[in-house]
Amino acid sequence: MLKVKISQTTPNPLQIALECAPGELHALVGPSGSGKTSVLRTIAGLNEPAGGKIECNSEVWFESNDVGDKVQQLTPAERSCGFLFQQYALFPHLSALGNVLIPLENSELNKSERKVISMDLLDRMGIANLAERMPNQLSGGQQQRVALARALARQPKILLLDEPFSAIDAPTRQGLYKTLAELRSDLNIPMLLVTHDLREADLLADRITVIDQGISLQTAAPQVLFQKPRNSRVAELVGISNMFHGMFDAGSLSWDGCQQVFHVADKGKIPPNARVAWVIPQSGLSVHNKPNAASVPAVVEKMSSLGQIAVIQLRIQDSENTIEWEASSAEVRRLNMNVGSQMHLELDGKQIHIMPLRPINDPRRFIDR
Amino acid sequence: MVAFLTLTLRFTGFNYIYAYVHILDTEGLQTYIVGYPSPQRQYNQKMDIDAILLSLKLAFWTMALMLPFGVWVAHKLVKLNRSRPWLEAALALPLVLPPTVLGYYFLVSFSNTSIFGTPLVFSFAGILLASLIVNIPFAIQPIQRAFEAIDPQIREAAQVSGLSNWQIFRLIELPLCWRGITGAAALTFAHTLGEFGVVLMVGGAIPGETKTASIAIYDKVQSFDTSGAGAIALVLLGTSLVCIALSYGIFGRNPSRHRGQS
Repeated sequence: MLKVKISQTTPNPLQIALECAPGELHALVGPSGSGKTSVLRTIAGLNEPAGGKIECNSEVWFESNDVGDKVQQLTPAERSCGFLFQQYALFPHLSALGNVLIPLENSELNKSERKVISMDLLDRMGIANLAERMPNQLSGGQQQRVALARALARQPKILLLDEPFSAIDAPTRQGLYKTLAELRSDLNIPMLLVTHDLREADLLADRITVIDQGISLQTAAPQVLFQKPRNSRVAELVGISNMFHGMFDAGSLSWDGCQQVFHVADKGKIPPNARVAWVIPQSGLSVHNKPNAASVPAVVEKMSSLGQIAVIQLRIQDSENTIEWEASSAEVRRLNMNVGSQMHLELDGKQIHIMPLRPINDPRRFIDR
Repeated sequence: MVAFLTLTLRFTGFNYIYAYVHILDTEGLQTYIVGYPSPQRQYNQKMDIDAILLSLKLAFWTMALMLPFGVWVAHKLVKLNRSRPWLEAALALPLVLPPTVLGYYFLVSFSNTSIFGTPLVFSFAGILLASLIVNIPFAIQPIQRAFEAIDPQIREAAQVSGLSNWQIFRLIELPLCWRGITGAAALTFAHTLGEFGVVLMVGGAIPGETKTASIAIYDKVQSFDTSGAGAIALVLLGTSLVCIALSYGIFGRNPSRHRGQS
């Protein structure tokens, strides 16, 4: 189990708390400059935080006391973590095999045993036939496989992956995803993945921590994160398109700029008469030709077709609000929809998720933009 | 000080030069035998083999002693931040100072000093020490550039691979700056072969002790022995060319650079 708490104000502010269980792939997601790579480097010991505690399998790697003195601080070499760099960072003067042998330099095994282990790792990565090649004779994907074998050679206690797939072309990336998924079940160690690609995080990770301006905003399973972001900034960062504002009071939500009032579940977390942001998933939207009791009139403003899927932008009548609706092309044909058509949009109040405009943990930070 | 200089010039190395000039004036162009007092040697050789061997010996020792120092200083310099410009400026001084200025300071500061019983003025130890100091920038700068060219991530990858600082230096950094080191070796060697002013000031021109090839060329020219001077010059030219070509060609092949790091 990896437990991380980091707090610092310089050189870049970081307020991070996260845990990662053995066998878990935990993704750190955030915009560039949000501090996700700093978190990884701090865990590896390449950056030194002002305060906090980093603990792996009950072994303390870093700890500071209340006055900021460092009680415990292991060097990167003592921490035993596998680190995968974005640009691979292979040793350019050593062959693929030579690179994998480097972390075994301090092992008690003899030379031939080390070679067997290294060749085995390269074999697992599917590149045993390239063992004698120099890094500049390998493609990006092959280099990252060598780097992965090197990271695993020391039998690390955790694996840290710093945007390892961003410099690799898409088809090669699929193969690496597969390798990573296989490793995950074999190794059973905590794995942290830094990425700015939400789809990648959604695809690979068990849990995602969203980081913005050095602060961890929310940790949740991908599906929870996309459906129930903790606040409006998280919703924005995970790219939820249908996010609106309104007033919430005792179970009824009024939509800014519309007459519509929705009845939504009140979990008691939002104070009465509060301004809120709210999101609704695609499954909560339906579009009809004829009005019903719960529908609002809307005009088709834009239609774009992506193969079998069409994305329709609807403007709510007499308001500035637009909403995106995804439907199959068949559904669009059935409704006989064109740009300018008058439609009737129904929103399912039960599926509306409301959020405070500022994060609950940090009342100082207004993050509604 | 002036009195000291005059005396030393009269009674040690420099008096040879005066003597040649004097004899040439009286005996004319065809003088091959320079019979000025020289207990051990007679300067009747067309090509001064002793001077060439001495130059090679000086260049070799300068290179051999300078390289470990250069690697050490360059490695330290790369990690410095604030004090680095000043240190770099101080280390580069021998590049811009006239050799006579350096030679003058060495002569003054070496005058009453000896190492292991050997006086530093007008001795091989003296010109070696002077040559070491003069070559500081030639030895350090190529190695420093090579260290600087190593991507910081390569060092970090070595750290997280569990290597100690010494192992990182030995297994990663040193092989990666091999080209810088051979370049520094070639520059130091070739530059020492050609060093003239400082060696003359500090060492005089004692045959077999401090009279290097470049001083011998000067002597030969002074004595209108242009063929003798030409022969030594050719040897120096060839040696310099060969050692630089070696450093560029055979030893200088850089380990293949990483595609992603370039």
